[in-house]
This record gives sequence, structure tokens and C-alpha cells, in this order.
Amino acid sequence: MPKVSLNTPAPDFSLEDFHGQSFRLSDYRDKSNVMLVFNRGFI
Amino acid sequence: MAQLRQDFNEFVKRQTKIVVVGQEDGGAFAAYWRENELPFTGLPDPKASVLRLYGQEVNLFKLGRMPAQVIIDIAGMVRYVHYGHDMTDIPPNDEILALLDDLIPIPA
Repeated sequence: MPKVSLNTPAPDFSLEDFHGQSFRLSDYRDKSNVMLVFNRGFI
Repeated sequence: MAQLRQDFNEFVKRQTKIVVVGQEDGGAFAAYWRENELPFTGLPDPKASVLRLYGQEVNLFKLGRMPAQVIIDIAGMVRYVHYGHDMTDIPPNDEILALLDDLIPIPA
């Protein structure tokens, strides 16, 4: 499975949040840092 | 997740948006966010498209997904990656906040 590497462009993606609002990673470029947290499951 | 909530304002001060991605559906996310009053963005990824894109590991023997954290700077570059080796392998906030303090964006 591919893993991302340091100091390379982050793969862009879009998903809907649980409110149904669109989220696109690249929308945050030039606006803020982003920390992606891949959870271990909370159910 | 409670650890991140506790220091949420420290991340905000460092212009860092916290985004949690998981394979649970929107209903499970909404319930968990409501129950724990989480202030950050939650993205259900039931098809695991982003989980695969970023290489989150699944450990069949430990019956679950391994936690992972990726920090992307304001220029869109990956500046920190941590793939957990077990379910509890999550870097402390202090380590991540120190890294954010030193982060100088690399132009894309």
C-alpha cells in the first residue's frame, strides 16, 4: 500500500464531512496547515 | 481524540486545522462528535479511499486500523508522517506542537 513521503506534495482528495459539507484538502493551501488524523476506529 | 481536543486551541494558535478521517459512516461520526463535543472536522470515508491514498495500515491480527498522523504545511507539502505500529502508538501533542512551531513552509 502506498505511503506518503516527507517533503512531497500531499495527495489531494475531497470528501463530505458528517454534516454533508464538502471538504477538499487543496482548499487549505495558502490558508493553514492541516493535520490529518487517521483514527483507529471509535465504534 | 480526547488528547487532541484538550490542546485544540494550541493547534488553532499555530494555524493548523485538525481533520479526522475514518471508515465509520456519517451517523457514527455525528454521534461520536456529539458525545465527545469534538471541535474539529470529521470526514467519514466508508469506502476507505483516502485511508488507502494515505496508506493507513490495517492489522488483521490486531483487528483494527493502525492510527496515523500526517501534517501538511500551508504550501500543501507533507512535513510529518507517523504510522502507528499498534493501536496505542500515537505521538504526544507536545511533539507535534513543537514541530508546528518550527515549521517553515516549503514552496510546492
